This record gives sequence, C-alpha cells and structure tokens, in this order.
Amino acid sequence: MRIVILSSSVYSESACAVAAHLAESGYVPAAVLALSSLNRKTLRRKLGQWGWRKIAVYAASKTIPRLPEKPHVLNNPYLISLLKRQSGIFRSLAEVGDCYRFPVASSGSHNSRASLARLRAWAPDLLVFAGGDILRKPLLEIPRLGVLNLHLGLLPQIRGMSSPEWSLLTNVPVGVTLHFMDAGIDTGPILRKYEFPHAHQPESLLESLPESLPGSLNDLRDQLVAFGVRKLAEVVAALDHGTLSATPQSALNADTQFFVMHDRLRAHAAQRFAQRRRESSRYALAEIHHG
Amino acid sequence: MNLPPQSSFIKVVKEASGILRAPQRVPRLLQKFVADGFRASFESRHLYSYTGTERESLKTLDSLIHWVADAQRPDGGIAAYYSLLSGYSASYPEVTGYLIPTLHDFAAATGSHSAAAMAARATRWLLALQMPAGAFPSGLQGSELRPSVFNTGQILQGLIRAHIETRRSEILSSAVSAGDWLLDVQQPDGSWSGAATYQNQPHSYYSMVAWSLAQLSEHTRSTQYGLAAEKNLDFVLAGIRPSGWVDGINLRGHPTYLHFIAYALQGALECAILRQRPDAIDRVAHSAWILLRKFETQKFLFGSYQKDFKPGSRSACLTGNAQMSCVWLRLFEITGDLRYLNAALKMNELLKQLVPLRGRSGIRGGVSGSYPIWGRYQPLRYISWGCKFLADSLLLEGRLMRSLESAAPENLPCAS
Repeated sequence: MRIVILSSSVYSESACAVAAHLAESGYVPAAVLALSSLNRKTLRRKLGQWGWRKIAVYAASKTIPRLPEKPHVLNNPYLISLLKRQSGIFRSLAEVGDCYRFPVASSGSHNSRASLARLRAWAPDLLVFAGGDILRKPLLEIPRLGVLNLHLGLLPQIRGMSSPEWSLLTNVPVGVTLHFMDAGIDTGPILRKYEFPHAHQPESLLESLPESLPGSLNDLRDQLVAFGVRKLAEVVAALDHGTLSATPQSALNADTQFFVMHDRLRAHAAQRFAQRRRESSRYALAEIHHG
Repeated sequence: MNLPPQSSFIKVVKEASGILRAPQRVPRLLQKFVADGFRASFESRHLYSYTGTERESLKTLDSLIHWVADAQRPDGGIAAYYSLLSGYSASYPEVTGYLIPTLHDFAAATGSHSAAAMAARATRWLLALQMPAGAFPSGLQGSELRPSVFNTGQILQGLIRAHIETRRSEILSSAVSAGDWLLDVQQPDGSWSGAATYQNQPHSYYSMVAWSLAQLSEHTRSTQYGLAAEKNLDFVLAGIRPSGWVDGINLRGHPTYLHFIAYALQGALECAILRQRPDAIDRVAHSAWILLRKFETQKFLFGSYQKDFKPGSRSACLTGNAQMSCVWLRLFEITGDLRYLNAALKMNELLKQLVPLRGRSGIRGGVSGSYPIWGRYQPLRYISWGCKFLADSLLLEGRLMRSLESAAPENLPCAS
C-alpha cells in the first residue's frame, strides 16, 4: 500500500510519530508532504497561539544539536516511545525519512497546484493527514482509498476544534475517531472510534506514563494523540487487508461543529476533567465501534 | 439608531467646519488615525484571532459608563456621538431612552449611585420631550419635531425601566401614552410605515419596537401591547430567509450595516422570549448561528452584509458586533448551548481591546463607529449606542459567567 503523509510542519512531533510508527509496523510511507515551517501564514498562526518565547524555545529544540546523554524534551511526552531510535529520538520528518528512506517535500500549501501535481505523481493509495491546511476537493480525490484523519473527539457528536474540551463540557464521552475526510469539517465516513475513559477493555497506554506529570487537559490531549497514532497503524493494516470498511456518519438534528474554546470555558472543562479523574481510578481507551 | 438623513455634502461641510472651529482636535484625530492604522496593519491577529486581553471586563465597563457620563449634556440628554472633527453632538432622545436600562443595570451590578442619578436626569429630560399624541421626536435635540416610531419604541424601553426603578406614576403614564401611540400608527400587517418611519417605509429592525411593546405588556399586564408586538414579530419572521438573512431592513442609500441586522435579530429574539414563542426563537437562533459560524471561522464579522450574508464593507461595525454578542449571550441563557457563550466571550475580548482607557473626554471609554475609525459606519466618531451595547454585553456576560462559575461541574449547561 502506497501511503503519503500530510503534515503541518517538518518538525511536527505527531507527524514524526505517525511516520515512524507506520514504518515500524511495516508500512513505510512513500513520501511526506509538509507545510513549510517558515512561511508567513504558519508563523503568524503560531505567533498567535504560542507567542515569541515559545516559538524560540521550540525552534531551538528542533535545530540545535544536543549531547546524546541530554534527554530531549518533547511537547507531547506520550509520543516518546514512538519517536525513539537507536541514537536519541526523531526530531524532524527529515530524520525519519533518512532512517526509513522516504522523501520529505515541503510546500506553502497542501492545496497548491504544485502540491497536487506532486501528490498525483506519488500515486498514493492512502493519504494520512497529520496536520496542515483544510483540504480541498481536488486533493481529496487523489488517493485511491481516501484521506485518513485522526480526530480527537467522538464523531458525529463532536466535530471541529477543541474537541476533548467540548466533549467534557457537553457530557459526550472523550475519545478519538479515525475517519476518512470529505469536503465538510469532520463529516467523512468513520473507520473506528475509541472512548475514554472506559474500563472494561483496558489498554496499556497510561500505565507507562511518567507519574510526575499533572493530569491536565493538555495531558489528556497529548494522551489522545499518542493513542490515536498507535491505533492509526492498526487501521492502516486493516484497510490493507480489506477487513475494514468505513461507515457514513449518522445525521444528527443539530449542527455539531464546535470552535476554539475560550480560556474561561476551558477552565470549566479542566475542572470537569479533574472531577472525572478523581472518580475513576483507572483510565484507559477502549474500542467501542468497528466500522 | 436612526439619525436623520443628510446629504453627504452637508455632512462633510458640517464636520469640516467643526475642526476649523476647534483645531486643537487635529492632534487627537491624527493620533487615532495612526493608532488604528498601526493596529490594523501589524496587529490584525489581535483583532481577528482569539488572542485574549488581560483587561478586566469591569474596568472596560467602568470606562464605558464614564464615557456616557461625559456625554450627558446639561439638559440631561445624552449626546449621540463625539466626533473627532466637531466634538459632541446635541442630546439624542432615542439613545438617551435606551441607555436608561443600561445605566440602571450598571448601578445594580456595581452599586454606582452616579449611574442611577444619570438615568434619573435622562428620564426627566425625556418626559419633557414627549409630544401630546404620546410619540417622541426624531433626530437630535432641536433638529426636528417629527414623531418617530423607532425613537418612541426605543425610549419606551427606558421609560418602563425607569418606572420599575422609581414607581413614579407620571413615568408609567408617559410609557402607556407612547405605547398607545405606537398601536395607533401600526399597520394591519404588523409593520410600521409612513411619515413617522425612517425614509417613510417599513423596516424589519423595528422589531426593537415590538420588544418594547412586549415589555410594556408584561409590565402593565395589558394584552393589547403584547398582541401588537407579536403581530410585528410575525411580520419580521416572514422576512427571514432559509439562509438566515433578514429581508426588509430597507435602508435606501446605506449598506445593510451589521448594526441593523443585529437590531432585527435582537428585537425579534427578546420579543419572542417575552411572548413565549419558541418557533420565533428557533428562527432567530438560526440567523444568529449563521453569523456565529462566520465569526468563528473568519474570526471577524463584516461591517455590512449584502443579501444572504454576502460580505459587504470590510471595516468592522463595532456596535453590531456588541449587539451580536448580546444576542448570543441571550441564546446561551435560554438554550444552554455553550457555543453561543463561547463566541460572545471571544467577541467581547475583541471589543474590549478597542476601547481606549486613556485620552480626553469623548475618547476615553468610547466605542468608535467603525474599526478602523475611518470605516464606513459613523466614521471618525465615538458613538453612544456603541457604548450602550458593549456595556449591555459585558453586564450580561458578567451575570452569566458568575452563575456558570458558581455552578457545580455536573450542573453545567450543555451544548444542544
């Protein structure tokens, strides 16, 4: 199966983890198309999200060589086992590409003509979306099987942004959904969904977590990403073997698109998360639906 | 807000002569041009993104009411605007009327005696302006003596609130007389048109008048006002398209500014709430949701729109933004859908950043007509109705957030 990964940046940790984990699972990507980290649009967005200081720290962590004995600090510590290699950890898609021998290209936009031409030339069976632009129809039509996306909420109830936070505030179970993308926002057919917390089918995800980390909302988000990346490889294998098909999303009466959550509401979501953590002695993600 | 129509030429001459009479305003004008130009060019992410502000809502609220206090003229009326060219306008009855509830709400929330005193002075001034038929005049004080449906409706809100606060019988008589006049001139289809309306034609944003009549009905327990309000509500609802667009705003020679779209929605929503009309609430919520999606995805609302919400002028109409925030907050209050609250919080953050906390009287605490200040809606002016709606929105936000923050996590409302 020819897989091409789309990424928001060559330094994206989650894209690195997706590429490395797929490769380790026997599905070495045919190529990666990442958005250029130094374009104006990305810089403006990150400036708004992070501010100058965090951008500077991030850039330094990705580019300045470190002594091998000095541990690398990840934004998402739950990805560490997926990013480990013999000497340290993968810090960029270029390093993953060098290791597993696949090309990494960059572009200002995934939807640009040049990007589309490049993707068509790679003739992918499957595109894996690990971040980037909103994908337009011409791009969505390129892969034979579709564009696979990891969404940090249960579809169709929670679409859009800040999904874990909105799940907590709206009493929808927290979870992740692997689905094919279509022209809408998180409206494409569903492959698999996993609910969290769900105790009856425990996964080992949280058993390996460093105990000192606080149980914050950011933690939850990081855990969901790490879990989703692991499950993504299983879904790819099932698609390859023809044992998994996608189910169209059921239509709901209300518009279930959510938007970036304001900090004051996020504080409520954090409060609710803390309460759930207190109530449950064990957290695990469990599969609740096979498409 | 319906200021009487004037030709562009007369407007320009009047404003320009203002700066000739008071050249000391030139530095302030230039300063504002530079500040808005700089912000729009280099800090647009702060306006159009969700970057918050450290500024507390209460501090902004204080400064808004301070602006209103400065704008209260010796006669007790409140100026329509402060122009960077010509200074304060004369007192404006319409805005003076509907600032009364805002002043009382502020006084109740903060214990401010001065806000309550301002409201009392404004009420006294308005009572003296009422025409024998019960109507209130259009235009700025001293400009015309034509009865105006819209102004009467807006002032009625203030009179009802003033009566609730003071229980003075002459205020109630004045309110009832205004309500009776509105009933007299209402058309059989529920609209208002003719000589007492702006440009002599019906407008869907006169739903604000319907809201006042619904309030009067509640306050006096008299059904005739409520029925008249519902009649107008049905007239407005008939003009709401499947796209959410509200037909019939009908402003000849002006773009359809967000301010008027928001008026139509706010009036219809409040009227629907008071008259317990869930069908009407759903229709308004649909339109409000369309604008919410636009705000959330584009991180910006245009200053005006064309039919079916096609983009109009690029500069922001800050008053319209504040009104939409009020609408979203009320929809959160009645539906429990947190996405409305979320959008309103973000909108208020955006607006708070644009209220100057320093500067001279007329500028400090003011809400400009447009952002940037040279935009098409009320250019180069700080407008009193902008202060009113932003203050309303911040007061409502404060009340709703306090109740949300005091609720146990399991009792939080949920999105539908």
